[in-house]
Amino acid sequence: MNAAIATTVFAVFMVATVALGLLAVRGRGGQGGLAEWSVGGRSLGAVFIWVLMAGEGYTSFSYLGAAGWGYNYGAPVLYVVAYMSCGYAVGYVVGPMLWAYARDHQLVGITDMISHRYGKPWLGAAVAVLATVFLLPYIQLQITGMGVVVSTISYGTISLNWAYFLAFAITTGFVVVSGLRGSAWVSVLKDVLVIGTLAFLAIYVPLHYFDGYGPFLDRIVEQKRDWLTLPGHGESGLGMAWFASTTVLNAFTVVIFPTTVAGYLGARDADALRRNAILLPAYNILLFVPMLLGMAALFVVPGLAGADSNLALFKLVVDSLPAWAVGVIGVAAALSSIVPMAVFMLVIGTMWGRSVLSHVPRLHSQERQKNASQVVVVIAGTLALIMTYAAPNTLVRLSLISYEGMAQLLPMLLLGLVWRRLTTAAALSGLAVGVAIVCALVFTENDPVWGINAGLVALAANIAVALVVTWAGPKDRDVRPHREVLAKEPLVDEPAGA
Amino acid sequence: MIARPHLLWLLVPFVLYAGALPFVNRVEPTVAGLPFFFAWLIGATVLTPFAVWMTWRGDRKHRNHQKGHGQ
Repeated sequence: MNAAIATTVFAVFMVATVALGLLAVRGRGGQGGLAEWSVGGRSLGAVFIWVLMAGEGYTSFSYLGAAGWGYNYGAPVLYVVAYMSCGYAVGYVVGPMLWAYARDHQLVGITDMISHRYGKPWLGAAVAVLATVFLLPYIQLQITGMGVVVSTISYGTISLNWAYFLAFAITTGFVVVSGLRGSAWVSVLKDVLVIGTLAFLAIYVPLHYFDGYGPFLDRIVEQKRDWLTLPGHGESGLGMAWFASTTVLNAFTVVIFPTTVAGYLGARDADALRRNAILLPAYNILLFVPMLLGMAALFVVPGLAGADSNLALFKLVVDSLPAWAVGVIGVAAALSSIVPMAVFMLVIGTMWGRSVLSHVPRLHSQERQKNASQVVVVIAGTLALIMTYAAPNTLVRLSLISYEGMAQLLPMLLLGLVWRRLTTAAALSGLAVGVAIVCALVFTENDPVWGINAGLVALAANIAVALVVTWAGPKDRDVRPHREVLAKEPLVDEPAGA
Repeated sequence: MIARPHLLWLLVPFVLYAGALPFVNRVEPTVAGLPFFFAWLIGATVLTPFAVWMTWRGDRKHRNHQKGHGQ
């Protein structure tokens, strides 16, 4: 009975989600080609960009991983709030810069920008392949995240394997049809549900289990002190140096993360991005809720270990709420998987359609590029699904290097866009050294290394190599003027037509 | 950068979240029951939008100033 109610609520909302995605692109389907599909025709206003970017930042990790980290370690999980807030501050400058660069040169993503900056399409293609390797694990994380949620809220009647397939099918169908614009629309529904359910849980759980906040907090402070400061509970190695270095590294990485950039490029004008950078950090307040509730689960469902700790929050929900409410919270969590997963797939599709497959002469037109991108989306999603079933550990291991690996693109992209002398050879050697160091440190389980985020150590080496090769290595022969190649912040001359 | 000193406001979140760690990584004193470290980070999360807003305000003045000179 419970299963039937919760599953029905869930199914209704999923149908509504797909319908909303279709509605979003009604009348626009055929036009606009790749730019309409991948960056919403660069026409989204401040509100849509806000919900979309908030939506990307708030993934199924927030319900599962954040609660799980809170449960296992405690305070270190707050690094998520720290780097996201700092990232918005960095994005205040970088967002408008990338947006203007893309608009001026008709670009749709970071690989495209790299091709243009260095005047070498093969470099964009190579970066697209590398970035895909870093992004695939995120799709798989969302598939497993949503799968676990679906299976849990159906009280086990939908098996995990079916739930994974559902997650894949809904998201792939949705993104192929609706693109970035549809994702922005669904983000609205998602944000309403996420804010509503988290605000509710923040009040309800402490009241239900502990007679209110005061007693709940007192009990944590008395009995779980380990959890409340860095480095947290257990032998985590996640001390202050790790927290600070990860905050700084991720704050810069998040602004060039291909999915964030997709959001930037969708904006109608640069000021929409700046206003967003003001408002978005406030959204992070919500992230404290699953973290605290993960710690509340320590008292209610003690002894969760391994992957089960990720379910810390959902165990509380299923234990304490009626079936319909379980269904609604499941929908919020599922949408928190679908929206980011859709944007991840969209970005992979766009990168390949624009930077890799465009080298195939038959795929040169905008419309063909879009179709090719959509095919890539299905292939990427299928690949992630197959690996979820067949080799789950491969992608889990890859996901460890995803963020730190993506960080190694910082010199090539950001430094390259403001500093003309950085040569192709230099950017590429820096990137190679950086990625190699990340892989070496992470796979030998030396992350954090000397208490510091391994990605930051690799980035330092990356920049050093790039500088040395720029001075000592071969020079680029590129006759284009600076204004063709470098980016600048569009401060005074706002939108092109205004 | 020199023309826009208000961009320094963007360093505020880095100071609050990373620079201040050695001083705030503690349980006591609790703030309305919250452990100090959590309370501090919530405070930082509330102050960050303010810092970015100050930057934006500075940019707006800067922009008006430049327009005034241009016309």
